[in-house]
Amino acid sequence: MPDTDVIVEMRHITKRFPGIVANDDISLQIRQGEIFAFAGENGAGKSTLMSILFGMYQPDEGEILIRGRQVDISSPNEAVALGISMVHQHFKLVHNYTVAENIVLGIEPATRLLGLIPYVNMRPVNKVIRELSERYGLEVDPSAVIEDLPVSTQQRVEILKMLYREAEILIFDEPTAMLTPQEITYLLDIIRKLRDDGKTIILITHKLEEIKQVADRCAILNHGKLIATMDVATSSTRDMASKMVGREVIFEIDKELARPGEVVLDVQGLTIENEHHVDVTQDVSFKIHAGEIFAIAGVAGSGQVELADAIAGLSAVKTGKILLEDCDITHTLVRPRTLKGISYIPEDRQDVGLILDFLLEDNLASKAYFRAPFSRRSILQRNAFDSYADDLIRRYDIRCSSGALTMTRSMSGGNQQKAIVAREVEQDAQLMIFVQPTRGLDIGAILSIRRRMIEERDKGRAILLVSLELDEIMAVADTIGVMFAGRMIKIAPADQMTLDEVGEYMMGVKQS
Amino acid sequence: MSGRDPRWDVGPDALKKISEPGGKCDDPVAPPSQDPPNPAPSAPDDGAVQVQLNWFLRAFGNERWQFITIPLLSILVSLIAISIIVGVMGSNPINVFITFLQGAGWIMKPVYAGGFGMLSDLSNTLAAFTPMLFAALAVTIAFRGGLFNIGISGQMLISGFLASVIVGYSGLSSFVAKPLVLLIGIVTGAAIGALIGFLKYRFNINEVVASIMLNYILQYAVSYFINTRYLDQISRQSRVVSPASTLVLSGIYNSKTHQLMVSNSLPSVLKLGDIQFLVPICFVLAIVLAIALQFFLKKTRLGYEIKAVGANRRGAHYSGIRVKRTILVTMMLSGALAGLAGVSYYLGYFNSIQPDTLTSLGFDSIATALLGAAHPIGNIASSFLITTLDTGGTYMQSMMGVRQEIAQLVTGLILLFSACSAFFRWRIAISRQKAEMRAYEAAEHDVDTDLVASSQGGDAA
Amino acid sequence: MSGVNTIIIDGLALALPLLIIAIGGIFSERSGIINLALEGLLGFGAFCGALFAYASVTLHWFSPHSMIPLYLSFLVAALGGSLFAVIHGLLCVKFRANQVISGVVINILSVAVTGFLTSQINVSVFGGPSSKFDLMTAPRLTIPLLSRIPVIGAIFTRFYAFEVMILVLLAIFWFILYRTRFGIHLRAAGDNPQALDAAGVGVARVRFTAVLISGALAGIGGMCFAYSILSNFSAAIYMGYGYLAIAALIFGNWKIMPTFAACLLFGLAQSGANQLILWLKMDSSVGDLAMIVPYALTLILLAFFSKHNRAPRALGEIYDKSKR
Repeated sequence: MPDTDVIVEMRHITKRFPGIVANDDISLQIRQGEIFAFAGENGAGKSTLMSILFGMYQPDEGEILIRGRQVDISSPNEAVALGISMVHQHFKLVHNYTVAENIVLGIEPATRLLGLIPYVNMRPVNKVIRELSERYGLEVDPSAVIEDLPVSTQQRVEILKMLYREAEILIFDEPTAMLTPQEITYLLDIIRKLRDDGKTIILITHKLEEIKQVADRCAILNHGKLIATMDVATSSTRDMASKMVGREVIFEIDKELARPGEVVLDVQGLTIENEHHVDVTQDVSFKIHAGEIFAIAGVAGSGQVELADAIAGLSAVKTGKILLEDCDITHTLVRPRTLKGISYIPEDRQDVGLILDFLLEDNLASKAYFRAPFSRRSILQRNAFDSYADDLIRRYDIRCSSGALTMTRSMSGGNQQKAIVAREVEQDAQLMIFVQPTRGLDIGAILSIRRRMIEERDKGRAILLVSLELDEIMAVADTIGVMFAGRMIKIAPADQMTLDEVGEYMMGVKQS
Repeated sequence: MSGRDPRWDVGPDALKKISEPGGKCDDPVAPPSQDPPNPAPSAPDDGAVQVQLNWFLRAFGNERWQFITIPLLSILVSLIAISIIVGVMGSNPINVFITFLQGAGWIMKPVYAGGFGMLSDLSNTLAAFTPMLFAALAVTIAFRGGLFNIGISGQMLISGFLASVIVGYSGLSSFVAKPLVLLIGIVTGAAIGALIGFLKYRFNINEVVASIMLNYILQYAVSYFINTRYLDQISRQSRVVSPASTLVLSGIYNSKTHQLMVSNSLPSVLKLGDIQFLVPICFVLAIVLAIALQFFLKKTRLGYEIKAVGANRRGAHYSGIRVKRTILVTMMLSGALAGLAGVSYYLGYFNSIQPDTLTSLGFDSIATALLGAAHPIGNIASSFLITTLDTGGTYMQSMMGVRQEIAQLVTGLILLFSACSAFFRWRIAISRQKAEMRAYEAAEHDVDTDLVASSQGGDAA
Repeated sequence: MSGVNTIIIDGLALALPLLIIAIGGIFSERSGIINLALEGLLGFGAFCGALFAYASVTLHWFSPHSMIPLYLSFLVAALGGSLFAVIHGLLCVKFRANQVISGVVINILSVAVTGFLTSQINVSVFGGPSSKFDLMTAPRLTIPLLSRIPVIGAIFTRFYAFEVMILVLLAIFWFILYRTRFGIHLRAAGDNPQALDAAGVGVARVRFTAVLISGALAGIGGMCFAYSILSNFSAAIYMGYGYLAIAALIFGNWKIMPTFAACLLFGLAQSGANQLILWLKMDSSVGDLAMIVPYALTLILLAFFSKHNRAPRALGEIYDKSKR
């Protein structure tokens, strides 16, 4: 391999955070014009490594060479000056600005009013952006306002931003996490087009199929160490997976056939409107039986989260009915629903599921603090909180530095999620709602939560799963409902649908 | 979340939120996004860590005590600042502080005028302390519930006014009048608090704006009634309320005969050796309420709910708490405390109301509550400090020739530094983190000096 | 002069200074910094301006009838306001203070500092114990022809020169906020500071500048009140117009033109109520009741419009570079 080809070289990069070595002596080379993937579990250090390349962190040891020259990248600005750009997982877009305004933010073209007073003139910019968009098939309207655009379009705005700034090295951080299978295909096409145009692409992902589909080479990280750099074409997915986890991976979860019983949840013609009086679901109906996992698939924003909120009582229903074991709960408050037997693991665990500035024991009891043994005659019984929390911490293996008295905010995301799962499972509810229960967790935690769902199903509970991960739905669901634009367009037993079919329904391509 | 005004998000939890660097763990870039490979390096390494902490971290690093140590630090820094100012102006700062304490009755003055003694000064300070503590508690409970009650002054005014009109100008005997005054204070304050809560509940009107508007409306309405009906032509204030209705008793202590006499009003003739003083009835009530509030927040269902709503509204709603109702209740409790502050101020510390004026105590109490770390017991201490500066100022000016307004300046500076407490906490958290990291590495790598040096250079988080 | 004219004349004299303070508030809040400190900033600005004007007259810096002290004092007030705003900027941007608390503290500090300095300076410089600086009332102007137009003519009648200045500033700051690079950066800082940072613009610098601007504008507003309603500088400057400006900008949904409307409504309601009492020949003590009108009206209107209010997304959020 001739050296001139190498555009990025990292030598002996080490980065430590308190209590953890995020990157441990990593050396690698990335060639001009290739798609180079970083694979690894959450916390393997791939994001940290790319943050170092993008100037957000400085390495404790080691050096970086760009185009053969040693550089000291101490801020994202310097990275951009070197032609490095990054699409973050959380898009960096100003939501009430137009696409064009976002793209030129920081490098706005100024015209002089009366040849004197500088002001921002967007007209020439719009033209440039439209051309760029057409050239790479991005289909973005420069004058659209960000908040009106779907996630996938926002992502393409981020790509345009990099192209407008003439970046040569493009870093994508988990770009497919929020997309449907069809949108993923579209994105991967764009990425290939960019590569063919001479750009160097760095792709951070934990989805091996994607790597297999587009990447030329792939580096596998585990616990901060570089395990291997391999040519994708000559390696198998299974091989990559075992390197990634450090052992053989069992993807499959053993699952017996469901034995559905009585109807537990009966949703009839539910229409929900949001705060702006826009209908987010329209006339949604379905039933869940005891001992059944009903999974709702759909693109982000199809109304599935709002549906879960409405069933749990967090938001109001416009028309339609919700029956829980033949009891109309359409308009009851959250608390009575909890008592009747609904437990809910919400999508947003830090802002909704937990009160981060409460002690762990207060959070573990947050659905029961008001009744005995936690509260007697309106006085809280602290020792009941303590012993209950200790019990859950032990049984659910929640890691926390000061036991029941740990400040919830200081816990890791995975353990926060375990705390929520523990609390909700312990409620012994007839209906359990799981929204995105495994997002952001590592494989071990993911498998344990999926197993827990199946266990609870086998105990005869009704389970509603909302997930954006089709793999997850295919792995655990007994029945799949697909939502598109607020409507439930397909309900079928899980074994009668293929992954691609579900994807097509999700995109609204296929109607039943 | 749109349409939400972050003015809501005040209170101790808002302060805390920013003091934890890298708290978001879902975030792929945030470093410790997984369980540390070596479980809990900080716990077993405590011994090693301890060695690395410097004196500053040892003194202020303990989060459990930060609610005391950090305000103390702010007070210390501002006293030093004031010492410098006073010194530049040519007075001895030590003497200035001593005369403050003497004026407030904590230390003996060298000389007393006839009929006065240290007891007189101290009791006066306690009488000023009482409404301040009530008001600070009113701010505190709102704070803990995630609300900002900037309308304390208005709530105080209307409570004091109604109590004056209904009881103060009646001929009721003190056994009826005093409890009635308290009751009117509580009910009026709670009603205004409820109104603010209702406006927020029903119409989404930001409580800061509603409180400000109500402050003005109440101020002008009360002025109108005082000016047209209850004005004392000489003092240009409302007529003085009856001694029976005030929440203080007058006392006489004879230093010669050691006789003690307490009654509704002073006798017209003082005997030799008599020292007059005030007995603020509500002083004990205020202290008891502070302790009760602490218990309430920590140990009761409603307290749990108020704190939950204050820390995270969506989370509270999710766990089944009726958020809007809790907001209403919180504002009512805050208003009731403000009402108590009002009656103990206008029918205790003063016995009349000046038209067209809102007392600055309502705003100062926000700062007092902040200095007390929004902690009911902390409020007791901070109220003592602020009222001491206030009541000791006159004497200090007469003795030292330093303008009395310096007292306000001291208060202002203390508050300024307390406002930085979040910054102190954040810096402390970061330095502690760094120290821990060094200790951890030292333990793991057998004190590799190169490593320690390089990690100091890297600016984590 | 008819009553309607008086309503318009007095209404504008109140609404415009309020507007300039509110625009200051908008700059700060659109950049993401809550500014409850407007009250303190306008007070400190007015203190500086008044001190300058008073000193220049008392110490005969200019010829007796010169207008220079009057005009310069606005500049000094703006500088003073932004000087005091440095504290708010430092506390909020650098020291990570809670912005609401910082605002309240600055208000308290402003009252304390100006009260202390006014007394101290009067004693040690001007040689007389006084807690205020006396100023003249700013002269009023009338434009000959335009003022004859029925009703609308009142706009051109007996107005203060500073009202014109405020209208000019309104145009300038509208242009800055919506049409310049700085304005685009400022609004981005209040909506998504991470995006601005990623685009290579320093969030802290933008926010700090915004707070300084808000101090300068508040200082100018305070000086207007010192020259019109009070004709002096004293503790009476702290009559709550800073808080009122905040109410106006929230009412105006953090946008300049709607806030202008809110201020006009407020000013006209105030002068209208006063005029009504004159017409009805009521006792002057009823004036207190008239004072209630604008506040009550604001509260009632807020009840109708608050639902649609949208604060800048990152308002009150402490921006932490390391957090993404």
